[in-house]
Amino acid sequence: MSKEALFKEIFQANSKKIYHLCYGYTGDDETANDLMQETFMKVWQNLDKFRNQALISTWIYRIAVNTCLSYLRVEKRQPKDELTENIIETRGEEISDKNEQVSALYKCIARLEENERIIITMVLDELPYAEIADISGISEGNLRVKIHRIKQKLTELYNRHERF
Amino acid sequence: MKDFEALKSIWHDQVALPKVSHEDVLKKVRKTRNGLASRLLMEMIGMGIFVAGLIYVWIESPFKMWTTHLAMIIFIACCIYYIIAQIGNYRRINHNNLLDKPEVYIKYLTKYKHDRYIFNTRKYSIYSIFCTAGFILYFIEIAFITSFWVTVIGIVLTFLWIGFCYFVLMRIYIKREEAKLEEMIQNLERLHKQFEDTDH
Repeated sequence: MSKEALFKEIFQANSKKIYHLCYGYTGDDETANDLMQETFMKVWQNLDKFRNQALISTWIYRIAVNTCLSYLRVEKRQPKDELTENIIETRGEEISDKNEQVSALYKCIARLEENERIIITMVLDELPYAEIADISGISEGNLRVKIHRIKQKLTELYNRHERF
Repeated sequence: MKDFEALKSIWHDQVALPKVSHEDVLKKVRKTRNGLASRLLMEMIGMGIFVAGLIYVWIESPFKMWTTHLAMIIFIACCIYYIIAQIGNYRRINHNNLLDKPEVYIKYLTKYKHDRYIFNTRKYSIYSIFCTAGFILYFIEIAFITSFWVTVIGIVLTFLWIGFCYFVLMRIYIKREEAKLEEMIQNLERLHKQFEDTDH
């Protein structure tokens, strides 16, 4: 398989999840696209080294996490209160209700600490705990405790948001 | 009241899609690589031409005093130092450390920022001192071969320029960099604490 074909395959398999991670971290669609692009540029540059790796998604996530973290070093930007409208496509009233829920969820994620945003996005995308531990560099035991707390915090934030 | 499973189901219902395709990424890779390479090349060529010019002047001009020869050595050494520092900077920027664990990566970023700050402040001061010393030594011989006023004008204009760069432009730059750096370091330290593998 050519390098370009392999890259296309990897991009199609992972881009959506990486985009969600970047969106969850920044709370901004445009920046999320920029960070995702930067992540995959690094993936392309390192592709030869990882051609035969079994868990290619782990190092893509690692690159994405570090790219997101370095985003703050360039310019301190807080996640936007009003998320852009293109979080989800609008398809009638039923979808509009879902839009609001997704928007509210992103707003609540934006209120978490940076590492919590990264971890919970991976939990929501159903990554195995062992993989999340590997990506974040936190031991599995501590990660389980952390995840439990973040889940509680996010649920609380969401329910509070729904009440008001 | 919703539980976490309900939030998970909301998350999976979203149909947010990235606006960037794999072709866009590859286009950007090519553009960035060419841009960076040409910028590096232009800087190297520019400085290389300047050093060659200095060496030519040094060989062709009938300098008689040791002070002028020393001035030339200082100027050339400053240029070579600049080239080496630039190459080092580009190498560091391109150093692939994105696969490090977040905690290690944040440590690297913090150190990198500190080093850049030292480069832009302390090392620039040393660089300016050497350039000034070079000009002082150079003007000693100039004073003997040209008229008094030409020497005075030359010295005044040169030192005004060095003084302006050091006391005005560099001070503004350092002040801005310091504020930005302080904020970045604070952010990085906060992030570092978050990734510490402790149960707190």
